[in-house]
Amino acid sequence: MAWKHITVSRRMLFIWCMLAGFIVLLSPKNLTSKFQFAFTYVFRWPLSIGRNISLSAATRQPLGDKDTVSRDEYERLLNHLANITQQRDDAQRTIQKLSKMRNTPAWERMSFVLSDVITVSIDNLRGELIINRGKEDGLEKDLFVLADNSIIGTISDVGTRSARVRLFTDPASITKVRIGNNKLMKGCGNNQAKVEMLKEKVKIDTKIMASKIPGFLDTPMIIGKVVRCEHNDQPLLWDITVEPVCDIQKIESIHVIVMNPSE
Amino acid sequence: MHWLRFAVLVLLATVLQASFFADLNSKPDLLLILLVFFAVYCDTSDAIICSFVIGFAADLIGQTMGPQMISYGIFGSALAYIHRVITIRKIPYQIVAIFITALLAGSLACLLNFLKGEPSPPKIYAPLFGIALYSSIVGPFLFLPSAWWMRIRKPGRFGRR
Repeated sequence: MAWKHITVSRRMLFIWCMLAGFIVLLSPKNLTSKFQFAFTYVFRWPLSIGRNISLSAATRQPLGDKDTVSRDEYERLLNHLANITQQRDDAQRTIQKLSKMRNTPAWERMSFVLSDVITVSIDNLRGELIINRGKEDGLEKDLFVLADNSIIGTISDVGTRSARVRLFTDPASITKVRIGNNKLMKGCGNNQAKVEMLKEKVKIDTKIMASKIPGFLDTPMIIGKVVRCEHNDQPLLWDITVEPVCDIQKIESIHVIVMNPSE
Repeated sequence: MHWLRFAVLVLLATVLQASFFADLNSKPDLLLILLVFFAVYCDTSDAIICSFVIGFAADLIGQTMGPQMISYGIFGSALAYIHRVITIRKIPYQIVAIFITALLAGSLACLLNFLKGEPSPPKIYAPLFGIALYSSIVGPFLFLPSAWWMRIRKPGRFGRR
């Protein structure tokens, strides 16, 4: 079969390409995101290698005095934890006796889907992860994601075998948190989020808990810590800046919380 | 135009951008550098195709599909047409070309994202400026290895179709 040389004017070429661009732009997101997940799935191996090189290149910070505790202090804290755990279990039993009904703790009704991180994108414009679990593994949109026992974000998009996690620091992310009562925490990029218009000053390093959302998170869990507390533009009000309690750039695997799994 | 070499180069840049540069706060945009490279070094028809393909690759690792394909396509094609009149041969001109293209293409992509209903960050100009600045500093130094890989000689003002 002989090839026929087709000549297309530059103007027509540009118009065709623009048309293709607008078709892609206006297509439903669940359709176009399949291209993105397919790319991530096909190139997951080189993507992981690139990320590992990036992690290796990052210099390891030496432990400072505030990051280490003595053996005695460690034992003391461990004992304190054991005492607190025992007191909690006793309190739980007392509540069950008084209420005459079985009360299953929230964490016993959770199922965790372990997933590896393929790519991490954290900058001023975005904060998201791509993970290697998807619909086939029971993931759904809006499920909470844990890393190092702290909430880091929610599932924003699910493919067949991969999913996108929107971090709570993403500029498009809004998370309900508990500071006294429920407040909204907005991501502001650069691995930080903000809670605005608080009536009281909050101490630095105060732990911030994600509020419970029935069906997705049945118990409050730690999400971040306060790194800055500044005056709002309005007098007598405060804005706090929150950072994750784990180093998201270095995490290699995460857990997706599935509440009340069917199996 | 060696399309197989082009595909390998774009895939390499896309993978590097999505992995090695993904979690850096200040980073160059490799795909944008390639956009300007092909607009400057290829003939106009090839530059138009390259611009849209590179935009599609940028969308694959971006927030949503479409905005960057259109913005890269428009500004890559415009740069290819401008290069028919003004030769972008010297490094300072290339730096300016990358910087302006990065700002314009980034702004249009953000606007299209917003029009599509995607959540967009409130302050986009500082990060866009950072990406444009880093890309313009790194870009001209990547032109030489890219030209070697693509088997392209130096761009000539009158040698373009």
